[in-house]
Amino acid sequence: MSSYMEAETLLAIDVGSVNTRASLFDVVDGRYRLVATGRAASTADAPLFDVSEGVRMALEHVQSVTGRRLIDETESLIMPATGAGAGVDAFVATASAGPRARTLLVGLMPGVSLDSARRLAASCYLEVTGEIGSLDRRREEERLDAIVKAKPDLVLLVGGTDGGAAQSLGRMASILDLGLSLLPGTEKPRVVFAGNQRMAAVVSERLSSAAEVTIAPNVRPRLEEEDVASVRQRLSDVVQSVRSSRISGLEELRHWSGGHLLNTADGFGRVIRYLSHVYDSGKGVLGLDLGASQTTLAAGFGGDLRLHVRTDLGLGTAVTGVLRHGTAADVARWLPVQVPEPRIRDYIFNKALHPGTLPVQMEELHLEYAIAREVLRMTLTSARADWPSGWNLEARATLAPLEPIIISGGALSRAPRPGYAALTVLDALQPVGVSTLILDPHSLTPALGAAAGVLPLATVQALDSGSFVALGTVVAPIGQGRPGRPVLRLRLEREGGETTEGVVRFGQLTVLPLRQGDFGKLTLRPERGFDVGLGGPGKAGAVRVSGGAVGVIIDARGRPLDLDRDGGRWRDLVQKWLWDIGALE
Amino acid sequence: MLPLTHVVPMTTIRRERQLPFPGAVVVRMNEKVQAGDVLAEAEPAARFYVLDLTRALGLPPKEAARHLRRERGERVDAGDVLAGPVGVARRVVRAPAAGEIVAVQDGRVYFEAKGAVVPMRASFSGVVVGTDGFQSVTIETSGALVQAVWGNGKEDGGVLRQVASAGSEKLEPEAFDLSLRGAVLLAGMCSHPGTLKQAGELAVRGLILGSLAADLVPQARRLPFPLIVTEGFGEIPMNHAAFSLLTTNVGREVALDGRVGGPYSAQRPEVIIPLSATRQVSLPDEIIPLNPGVRVRVVQAPHRGAIGVVREIPSRAVVYPSGILARSARVELEGIGPEMVPLANLEILQ
Repeated sequence: MSSYMEAETLLAIDVGSVNTRASLFDVVDGRYRLVATGRAASTADAPLFDVSEGVRMALEHVQSVTGRRLIDETESLIMPATGAGAGVDAFVATASAGPRARTLLVGLMPGVSLDSARRLAASCYLEVTGEIGSLDRRREEERLDAIVKAKPDLVLLVGGTDGGAAQSLGRMASILDLGLSLLPGTEKPRVVFAGNQRMAAVVSERLSSAAEVTIAPNVRPRLEEEDVASVRQRLSDVVQSVRSSRISGLEELRHWSGGHLLNTADGFGRVIRYLSHVYDSGKGVLGLDLGASQTTLAAGFGGDLRLHVRTDLGLGTAVTGVLRHGTAADVARWLPVQVPEPRIRDYIFNKALHPGTLPVQMEELHLEYAIAREVLRMTLTSARADWPSGWNLEARATLAPLEPIIISGGALSRAPRPGYAALTVLDALQPVGVSTLILDPHSLTPALGAAAGVLPLATVQALDSGSFVALGTVVAPIGQGRPGRPVLRLRLEREGGETTEGVVRFGQLTVLPLRQGDFGKLTLRPERGFDVGLGGPGKAGAVRVSGGAVGVIIDARGRPLDLDRDGGRWRDLVQKWLWDIGALE
Repeated sequence: MLPLTHVVPMTTIRRERQLPFPGAVVVRMNEKVQAGDVLAEAEPAARFYVLDLTRALGLPPKEAARHLRRERGERVDAGDVLAGPVGVARRVVRAPAAGEIVAVQDGRVYFEAKGAVVPMRASFSGVVVGTDGFQSVTIETSGALVQAVWGNGKEDGGVLRQVASAGSEKLEPEAFDLSLRGAVLLAGMCSHPGTLKQAGELAVRGLILGSLAADLVPQARRLPFPLIVTEGFGEIPMNHAAFSLLTTNVGREVALDGRVGGPYSAQRPEVIIPLSATRQVSLPDEIIPLNPGVRVRVVQAPHRGAIGVVREIPSRAVVYPSGILARSARVELEGIGPEMVPLANLEILQ
């Protein structure tokens, strides 16, 4: 029996740490379309610690735009829609706001189950505060110390293939039981067991007095097989439940959504996985969501989703991670103006204090997006380690071919000009070959992912409905050369329009105008030693390209970008690129 | 709804103080307490020991367990006999430290060594108005309250002394002399590592700054006394309201709490100055809607730290030199004049 519903109107809420967004979809001319969005400051933090007020304000915004009443006198959502045109038929919600769950990872084998646990943790909003393995060299008492010191809200216990190791898992469960029973306080931590399913009952029984146990599928059913996706679903539910116990209002959203309150990253990942089924199987699909308190990078390879969440990197409360994992000099290299490194550090620390602030002056704008580049670059570096072999060769300095690249997050969607967002992403990710950059200006992706669970048609149709902004098509040849050396000759024949021809030289960033919704035939003839993804270095060919708010971008700055150049010249180049791509007026 | 910062000359201040883990509350409801009074105590686990009875006594697990002489949860001192004597050699197992047995499994004793007693002090004088009996105590007082944006995680208190004539003054190492020893110092901006070193050597009890260079954060965290920052990082003068309120209280006992609770905690770094009230004063507002007439502070350049009054909140968004489009307020900034400021760059000041 299908659990999908029939509905005309769909309301989606996403509660972020800085913004709460409401999106209303309705059937127009037989297809689901976005009809209105509303945004309000999130109220998950002080003084309210209750997301409801932010949700109410975002809904009021939608009500004022559409005239459609969504909330009744008791401040409850009107659902299903009434004949008088009030309320909605379906509701979905996603959330990333709220404190991260302190998590202890417990596994058996380093390099096997513990690696899987780490990968799982990296795809949810978790703060890993401790790790125990059956082969680590600590004595039993030191492991007990580690459990108590970790003060976990959540324990992720993995280990053993199905029908495999039982004894060592039992021993580990006993130590865990003892350690958890020694935790001060009255609140029981949650344990998610994702190991040998034959031991599920034993583990559950052994830990029942010290913790609330959830059994998930085995993350390593066989030694050579890892099933992160099935476990993530169960783990995400528990994480969401831990957060709901800390922040008021999330439980109400869960109720409104019929129990389907998703983590924002999971909703985001669902859409990327779907697109990776739909698009060219020879390329991956990439989605990046640059938030205030985390950065999510989702990569889909023919339906295989690799979701990576960095809760220590973001453009708000998590921004100081840039200085923990890098330096102010790393940020400075993306600046078109000279800013002393101490001032960069001051800016980063102030941004963490006031995550919602906006850059008013040009210097701050440049700083904000220079930091964004580093956040994205660092996130990509760690995410790639989890990509399937073939998509992430260790020796490969350049990125795998990706099509399309979905860009989301407050900072990127409010960039003053589309070129600014495009250049930030190009610098940070350095895509290769031919890719399309698509901006999600209303941060709809997580909502559409959540909607896929109840109303998949709405997701599919809304993705096609023009709610997303195409920034353009990027052509980035792989190769290096002397500045000024020809990289490729091109010819763009616009469908129903004029033709442009030219030569692009090494170091240039060139934009060919092609508006959103327009298409053209782009013929590329790369020079020897340059590969545009048409079969190898020097191979020519033609592709149908789509336009966008920026146009067709030929990025001939080299792959990988050489970042170790003289400071002064580098700044001039960054300034020039900003002009070339139309980021400055 | 904008964030709210309190800079209030006279209000009712109610603060819940909490042990990091359950212990025992030693004060009663309505009891008057002084800043240094202990409200509650806890004895955290210092470390765990696993004592193998079977090996130590040379017996199988079940039999070894029968020779235990102490109950689970019973307090013992270091060296006390936990099990035995057994056999001719009269073998025993002794407690490795003061603590208690927490579990016995398969012939092994899990022993928790207790650490030093952790006291929770009142921090400021007031009256006990609430307690759960084992972990938290709520104290209430009347007085002045200045909330800050960052602290180094420490707390203490002392007599407030002023070492800057203005909130924009830089605090240099030369500003210190022996008369400041043991005092809480009010200053403006600090960007010199020697200044913090000097303050540490002088054994001051606290430092209240408008701003601190971010590069000094690691050094600030290592200081043995609380350091709190009212505006942020870099060179930002202390806001006029906070500086003048603090200067009027020079010579009084102040409590500094430099603990930062994080984004999902109500805990903020702050200065509490208990004062006797001649009349009943109310608690400060937790929420103030943004309307014309409301006092605000700018928290982003170009006027970071400036205070003003909202004059108008236009319905249309405003474009700024950076190209950013933002809903904004027209604010009459003190000493600057009327300026448009994005709402996102404002917080309400009470």
